[in-house]
Amino acid sequence: MTTAEIPLAVCVALMLVGAVGTALIRDVTRLVLSLGLFLVAVALIFLFLGSPLLAVSQVFVYIGGVLVLFLFALMIVHRTGEGRPRADSRHDVAAAATAIGVFLILMLVPGPLATTPPADPVAPAAVGDALLGLDLIAFELVGLLLLAALLAVLVIVKGAKDS
Amino acid sequence: MILAFGCAATFALGLYAVLTRRDLVALVAGAELMIGAANVQLVALALSRGGDPASASAFGLVVIAAMAAESAVGLALIVTAWRRHGRGRVDEFEEVAG
Repeated sequence: MTTAEIPLAVCVALMLVGAVGTALIRDVTRLVLSLGLFLVAVALIFLFLGSPLLAVSQVFVYIGGVLVLFLFALMIVHRTGEGRPRADSRHDVAAAATAIGVFLILMLVPGPLATTPPADPVAPAAVGDALLGLDLIAFELVGLLLLAALLAVLVIVKGAKDS
Repeated sequence: MILAFGCAATFALGLYAVLTRRDLVALVAGAELMIGAANVQLVALALSRGGDPASASAFGLVVIAAMAAESAVGLALIVTAWRRHGRGRVDEFEEVAG
């Protein structure tokens, strides 16, 4: 491992700690905090890969938005008054074997990934140009997807109120 | 190699969480792990193979938006299921309508 790879190794270690906590911890509050650690580590990896816009988007959308949604869902669903909420798991050999098999396949397939930061980070203006140029259809589809998700959430919540 | 290992291990941990968790919020969190790991892997792969960095970032943004939509709908379903039936665990939903 070279000196330039040490920050990446630290970020990957943080990502793994967060992932292990999210997958295995039974205390639901700590589970969500572990998910937050994972998301912060992913943002740092994006920063390391030379994409500051992705890192900032990850922080704003995920840590500022989705993680707060998780905490709200946690407060509503686990409001029991019986001490700290716990998330049960049913650990079994088949699930572990499946996960290990997928891990081995993923290690075999992709080939080497970038482990050193690029000389020039991607400028947000270039990403904007790409989104409104060659990737315009993807950009429009994302807008449609977000609108559909918004309407779906409203329909789901309204259905719950009506019943 | 470090990043590939981290992404593969995180994806596998997310899959394990989806397969074994019984709590719905924890299950959605496992799905988030899988999508996040896949996003990092795909962006890094695009950059490693000489792809356009701006397009790789744009792709990452698209995936982040899709993840946010998935989380919002998933959590809305969980909260609705809790308010309607008082259930928050996977094994409490053993019947389908129709």
